[in-house]
Amino acid sequence: MKLPRRIAAFFRRDSETLALREEMKLHVELRARKLHHAGLAPDDAGFAARRQFGNAAVYQDQISALWGWTMWERFWQDLRHGIRMLFKAPGFAAITVLTLALGLGINTAIFSAVNAVMLRPLPYPHSERLISLWEETIHKDQRFSSSGTPVGTAGGSQRTTVAVANIADYRASGAFEDLASYDSSPVNLTGMGTPQRISGESVTWNYFSVLEVLPVEGRTFLQEEDRPGADPVAIVSHEFWQQRMGAAAEAVGHPVLLDGKPYRIVGVLPAGFQSPPKLGVDTPTEVYLTASYPREQLANRGDHDVNVVARLKPGVSLAAARAALGTTWAGLAKQYPATNGNLRPAIATLRDDLASDVSHSLWALLGASGLIVLIACVNVANLLMVRAAGRRHESSVRMALGAGRLPLMRQLMTESLVIAAAGCVAGIVTGRLLMLALTAMAPPDIPRIENAGMDWRVFAVAAAIALTTALIFGMAPAWQASQVKPVEALKTAARGTGGTSQVRWRTALTIAEVSLSLILLVGAGLLLRSFSTLMGVNLGFQTDHVIAMNINLPDLHYPDAQARLQFFQKIEDRVRSLPGVVAVATANRLPMRGGWSSGIFVDGDMENEYSPDFQAVSPGYFETLGIPLLRGRTLTGQDTADSTPVAVVNQAFSHQLLEDRDPIGHTMQRSPNAPRISIVGVVNDIRRKGKDGLIKPEVYLCGGQTNLYPVHLADFAVRSAGDPRALVNAITREAWAIDKDQPVTNVRTMDEIIDEAVARRRFQTLLLLIFAGVAVALAIVGIYGVLTYSVSQRLSELGIRVALGAPPRAIVSLVLRQAGALIAAGIALGLVGAYGLTRFLQDLLFEVKATDWHAYAGAVALLAMVAVIAALIPARRGARVDPAVALRQE
Amino acid sequence: MLILKTLARNKPLHGFAIAEFILETSSGVLQVEEGSLYPALQRMLLKDWIAGDWGKTEENRRARYYGLTAEGRKQLARELDRYARVSQAIAAILQPV
Repeated sequence: MKLPRRIAAFFRRDSETLALREEMKLHVELRARKLHHAGLAPDDAGFAARRQFGNAAVYQDQISALWGWTMWERFWQDLRHGIRMLFKAPGFAAITVLTLALGLGINTAIFSAVNAVMLRPLPYPHSERLISLWEETIHKDQRFSSSGTPVGTAGGSQRTTVAVANIADYRASGAFEDLASYDSSPVNLTGMGTPQRISGESVTWNYFSVLEVLPVEGRTFLQEEDRPGADPVAIVSHEFWQQRMGAAAEAVGHPVLLDGKPYRIVGVLPAGFQSPPKLGVDTPTEVYLTASYPREQLANRGDHDVNVVARLKPGVSLAAARAALGTTWAGLAKQYPATNGNLRPAIATLRDDLASDVSHSLWALLGASGLIVLIACVNVANLLMVRAAGRRHESSVRMALGAGRLPLMRQLMTESLVIAAAGCVAGIVTGRLLMLALTAMAPPDIPRIENAGMDWRVFAVAAAIALTTALIFGMAPAWQASQVKPVEALKTAARGTGGTSQVRWRTALTIAEVSLSLILLVGAGLLLRSFSTLMGVNLGFQTDHVIAMNINLPDLHYPDAQARLQFFQKIEDRVRSLPGVVAVATANRLPMRGGWSSGIFVDGDMENEYSPDFQAVSPGYFETLGIPLLRGRTLTGQDTADSTPVAVVNQAFSHQLLEDRDPIGHTMQRSPNAPRISIVGVVNDIRRKGKDGLIKPEVYLCGGQTNLYPVHLADFAVRSAGDPRALVNAITREAWAIDKDQPVTNVRTMDEIIDEAVARRRFQTLLLLIFAGVAVALAIVGIYGVLTYSVSQRLSELGIRVALGAPPRAIVSLVLRQAGALIAAGIALGLVGAYGLTRFLQDLLFEVKATDWHAYAGAVALLAMVAVIAALIPARRGARVDPAVALRQE
Repeated sequence: MLILKTLARNKPLHGFAIAEFILETSSGVLQVEEGSLYPALQRMLLKDWIAGDWGKTEENRRARYYGLTAEGRKQLARELDRYARVSQAIAAILQPV
């Protein structure tokens, strides 16, 4: 009740003050008149009245303090004073605000990325209860461990998709409201303009109810539609409806041709809805089809091929759900030891799971940007100390006139707050700009980063950091100022000599700066080394002059392996005769585009099952990708569905599965009753999954014999003499000449594919390099500032030295020695810090240890070099000092 | 207490009148620096014991007239009560045996 009254009074305090004055004046006048009537002379009466009244000004002050105005008035006073002081020193103000803006801006930008990707709730109702579920194989022993390259994560667990048959058991665990499964299932869209391949998903009927999304038109799937043989129905995205159907009023009930088969649209999803795996991806899912798992799949616990999203029951925690699943798994493992014994379910919140790929690098970047803020703080503190030193005289005069230490400190703190506030505003603006640059530069596979923007969290964090920095950098000079002994300070006259404690403080700050920037430099160095190691990795195949594309033939028109083979043989013949084509290849999957692995038994030994990578390839595959044949023969056109099944393997296969025996002549089979496949050749190892992938045993099956295997030929690659891009139109034309409804999609040169695969590493390396650059620049400014100041303080001393005959070289080395001590101390501290902190980078590093000495040595050398250069400038200035001028200044 | 009592006995008064009233009623015994009246008035305003209204004096000068609020009356009652107890205690001690 009192507070609002105080606040209201505060705003009319001026009129209140006037009113009080009027009241008091009236009082005195009335008293004077009364005394006059009592017989006093008018002058004496007035005098007596005033004496009787007392000191009006004191009463005014008492009243003012009573209402709590004094505190505010002092704050305003300090604030106005602070702002005035900043305007009086625009250079100083600009540098401090810029430094803060840079530090805060980088931090704000990175934090808003972290916020968007990892902290903000997913765009689904009650998304905190959405769970991602997967299965993990527990490796008890590592069969494929060999010298050199380890295979898989030894002793760890490997994530796989979920077996449909297990889902019902997981549901029975009781922790979830419901579970739905989904899988990406791209389809060919025909009958709406040029044939196109669009993103589709096959989902269980309850998928949308688990995500709690309601269609804007029509309905979601019915349970009876999610069965083999049910009427084909589809649900489309709002964007599909708007753009592909021209927002036709009657979308529901409309037929749509997918993979050549007519589907009836039963629902349209709300605008902006995206399924979890596609959040922030530029190829959003456009159609959803029912999963309609066949009976065999529903019974098979060995086939892992779907993703699962689940919704926790309200009030069930993640840990409780994990425990419930653990119990379920124990039962399953006992009942089905062959399929479930080594395979346990694992869960995480959907949000964390979606960000799991990038969370490491984002945290590392956030840590790095935190270091930058610290450096910026230290720098500003340093600048403020210089300023405080310059104002020692002012401080001591104030103190001599009776100002308390506390008000003095308070005033300096207020000035720091003004700087922090300005820095905060500038930092948020900088952060916004950096964020725009960041999202534009970011590789497209970081989920949800495009939503990075300012919200209350970002603002709150920026403001909190600014306030903290103000406290940190404001404290030192304020404390310093309060330690001023007016008598001594005034004795040393107007010259702003910093005391020894001043110098000690600034030395400490500079050392801190050097060490912090060394930490960043080491981090950047490690990432750079990791990246260059990665770039130096030999893939084992030639990526230049190769263009790759998908040609997914729909089952409806190409019902069997033979039909697909014929299509690809036709297109191979047609494309091979195009000018500029060197070689053509067909495969189920080209390198870098996923693949298939299957269990096999070698030479009829049914005891040991291995699981190498498999692909079915055409005879031209090895030539097109430039994979050299080492022994035996490659696949030829004579290997057909009617001849013996043959395959080519790589070195790792013979190394890991055959104990380095020559594989030619050995056989393998996928199950006891399956036909034996003869190995006819050995090719060079390749890293199928890209530069950071592992060399795994590979089996190249014959593309002409795909009737034996569950793979579809679908990828097509061409090696050209010139620019492979120039061939794209001609190839597409040839494809359409064979089948006018056949889309050719995902057209990329191999170089581009490899490039995209390392884009994220390149991005984080680049960012950390930029951060380290900023840090070093700030540290250099710090070193330069300290030395320039110290040289200007020692001008007279240096002048005397020069006058006494010291050569310039001696002066330079004198200053450099001082700088060297600073730098060395900073580097020593920084090495300790880097050793402690860079271990958090280990997960981001490729084949480089976090303690890699190259990175440390490089960082130390670079920092020492630029620091010495920064020190040279003031040192030379000191050496050039004219003794006469220097001495006259005294 | 004195101010509150003064205001309770009279219609709303301005500062000088309050001072005069206390001075006259106490026959000149209670005399302090008159200005200290004003911080005291302000304190009571803040505590909502009294309310101030601007009006005109007999000579047509602007002045603030202070009057007791309901809260002020309660406060007066509390203070009178306490005063009565204290003075009784003092009287009891001072009573000649």
